[in-house]
Amino acid sequence: MQHPFQCIASVRLPGEATSYDYLVTACGPRLTVVDVAMGEIASRWSTERAASTTSNGDDDEQSERPKKKQKTSTAAPRASNIIKLIVSPDQTHIVTVTDDKLIRVFGVKTGGLLDELSQRCMPKRPCAIQILPDNATIICGDKFGDVYSLPLLPSDSPVVTEQASAGAAESEVSKKEKEAAFKPSATNLTVHTKRNRKALEAQMAQKDFTNKKEPLKFEHKLLLGHVSMLTDVLYATREVERKHRGYIITADRDEHVRISRGPPQSHIIEGYCMGHTHFVSKLCLIPGTDMLVSGGGDDDLYVWDWPTGKLRRKYEIFGAMLGLPYVGDTVMNDGSTQQAATVGDMSDHKVAVSGLCTAPFTNAKGQQETALLVTCERVPALFVIPVNRLQLVKKYEITQIDLDYPPLDITCIGDIVVISLDGRKDGQYRLTANKLVQPNADDKGHVMLKPDEDTEARLKCLVGSAEGVRADDKELDELFYSVANLRKRGGWVTPGEDVAAEDDPVDAEADPNGTEIVEMEDDATVRKA
Amino acid sequence: MAGPPNKRQKREEKHEGQMPQKKFYRQRAHANPFSDHDLTYPEHPSAMRWSEHYPHFVATIPAAVPKDDPIATRDYNEYYVARMEKRVEVADIGCGFGGLLFALAPRMPATLILGLEIRTSVAEFVQDKAKALRLQQQQQPPASAGAETPPVPGGYENVSCIRANTMKFLPNFFAKAQLTKIFLCFPDPHFKARKHKARIVSATLNSEYAFVLAPGGMVYTITDVEDLHVWMVEHLAAHPSFARVAEGEAEGDECVAVMRRETEEGKKVERNGGRKFVAVFRRLEDPAWP
Ligand SMILES: C[S@@+](CC[C@H](N)C(=O)[O-])C[C@H]1O[C@@H](n2cnc3c(N)ncnc32)[C@H](O)[C@@H]1O
Repeated sequence: MQHPFQCIASVRLPGEATSYDYLVTACGPRLTVVDVAMGEIASRWSTERAASTTSNGDDDEQSERPKKKQKTSTAAPRASNIIKLIVSPDQTHIVTVTDDKLIRVFGVKTGGLLDELSQRCMPKRPCAIQILPDNATIICGDKFGDVYSLPLLPSDSPVVTEQASAGAAESEVSKKEKEAAFKPSATNLTVHTKRNRKALEAQMAQKDFTNKKEPLKFEHKLLLGHVSMLTDVLYATREVERKHRGYIITADRDEHVRISRGPPQSHIIEGYCMGHTHFVSKLCLIPGTDMLVSGGGDDDLYVWDWPTGKLRRKYEIFGAMLGLPYVGDTVMNDGSTQQAATVGDMSDHKVAVSGLCTAPFTNAKGQQETALLVTCERVPALFVIPVNRLQLVKKYEITQIDLDYPPLDITCIGDIVVISLDGRKDGQYRLTANKLVQPNADDKGHVMLKPDEDTEARLKCLVGSAEGVRADDKELDELFYSVANLRKRGGWVTPGEDVAAEDDPVDAEADPNGTEIVEMEDDATVRKA
Repeated sequence: MAGPPNKRQKREEKHEGQMPQKKFYRQRAHANPFSDHDLTYPEHPSAMRWSEHYPHFVATIPAAVPKDDPIATRDYNEYYVARMEKRVEVADIGCGFGGLLFALAPRMPATLILGLEIRTSVAEFVQDKAKALRLQQQQQPPASAGAETPPVPGGYENVSCIRANTMKFLPNFFAKAQLTKIFLCFPDPHFKARKHKARIVSATLNSEYAFVLAPGGMVYTITDVEDLHVWMVEHLAAHPSFARVAEGEAEGDECVAVMRRETEEGKKVERNGGRKFVAVFRRLEDPAWP
């Protein structure tokens, strides 16, 4: 068993004669940076160190040790996994998100060295993260639907990270604050209806009447919010009247794609791209056009003219998936699992778009073109659509390229497309490097992957990098395949079963039917306890 | 989810035109706005079949329809949606048993008014009541034939209700700048700070109200919980798309008087001699791009 790379990203640093390419890989809790030209490991970083230094207090590897202890909780089970990895537009910084809600910023230095600059704990798990073109602002969308902006580099140096466990280990001070803060927001005198009085009584009966959460101790702004789990966030610009306008595009689990103005007017919603009938998991802007592609749980990709919110066309993806192998168990509607064979064999196979990105390629005539690359969870294939095909309203062309294992992430180093694969058995390869080529000029839509053996050989230096990273099937599946869980089961969802509801802002005591135990207002039998 | 079967059965025993009784439509007081209830909603406002709610306002001229008509006959999915003469302009969010709706309807007979309510049975009650009131009006002998009460303007044809979770799905029902008035009457207070995200007024939800409201449109709020009043005023006034309407002007607005008097909650507070806190906000024009 080996741990595949859940995220990969490329960084291009300028040099005197040529530029230097680095591939940053995330393997469980570890970051490994590869010098692509040399085929050597440039640097390593891991949350394992953060965890181990907390438990044994050892000061080994001073230079690479995170500045702050991460958590003070006693049982340190496993190091947190990296779930997002992005690069600033100017290539000088990378930002990671780990599954303990921490956002970390690293400087990327000459030679591919990483310099950990900050870690900030967000109130809710970040689901999507971007660095704006100003190279100074992070925008981050979370599980509860809020989008925050934070400076890439925190203005005040000391970042208090103990907050991560503030809720659990309560200090004397915070206890006092809490007592002082206890001020009933309404009294029996100000509540005049039975309905409100009941609600107040029920809530006062609970011990912690006030907010447990401490305010975030770093600079941040709430830009906008959905009442739904956010799944993707993009920043787009458009030139109107010779001025650049910035937009934030957000997608959620409730089928919405929202277009808001960028900061400082992010409170203004410009429009929505409405039409999805299942969750939206990924968004992709097509460079040089006003086209936005969205995908998720629907059978089709949706191609929008995003400034007007008009749907240009749908592009079917489910049909292209049919007959392909489906890796892993299929969860049936009744909750049981079945060993899958190929997509379409079982009625429960549904689309779960896990990746949308664009990549450059040279067409058969020698011209530069762009292709949209699409991946779906657990399907070992890459779907390729040259973007000029997306514009056509009727024609349907999609190239399906078989991969040996399901793809996990894609990044481009120049025109080399690097794909991370879920090859988790020892010896299986976890990275492939290819070029997109168009063999035949007449066959306009058809594009192929041509292995780039040189690059692939140089990436082999990563083989040992995952040594010792814990990997069991269940944990890997949880880390890699969370998109399909966004699908609503329909009907009344029990909290345990529903990923999005697991730490619902409404109390856990809410019953499985999603209703609270407060009696009907004009029910005469209700009496004050 | 519909009410318990026995209640449902009793509800159906009533004959057409008979007023529905609240006791058959009772439901737990609170529904969790964050859960995935089995809600139904159109994927796009133009796919909403408003004709079922306002049959009197179905357009009779199905002639050439301009392509970009917001009141489209066919949406992009090519399924047939009857063309309407009017769009909904007034929304009562969390309308409860609909007291405000039925009081407003005769006062603006040419305006479509919609209640949105998350509790299934309560929404059904309002729908059934609208149907019953319409039928009563239709069956009433004309005034000349010696009717005891004069007919109600609009005959309640302009009022309806849908079951919806407005915190999630407002843009599924309403297009940009479609509404002229939004009522938020006696919203659930959610006293606990941890529950404040469940409040119907918040910095982020206010952006959605601003989106569906036309510039110059109004948000009306009323509550008996002073703390909630302060919260709503703080959050709406702080939102750059809204400005609070001066108290004098607000009190001169007929809608404010109706809201105080005719909401079910307003009546209860009245009976208990409680205070009602009112605040009205105007949707401002969007500023120029920076
Ligand atoms: C206290 S009642 C007020 C009813 C009515 N407006 C009145 O003044 O008499 C609040 C209502 O809001 C409804 N509600 C709460 N959250 C809602 C949501 N997210 N969408 C729609 N209705 C909601 C509740 O079910 C309840 O009927």
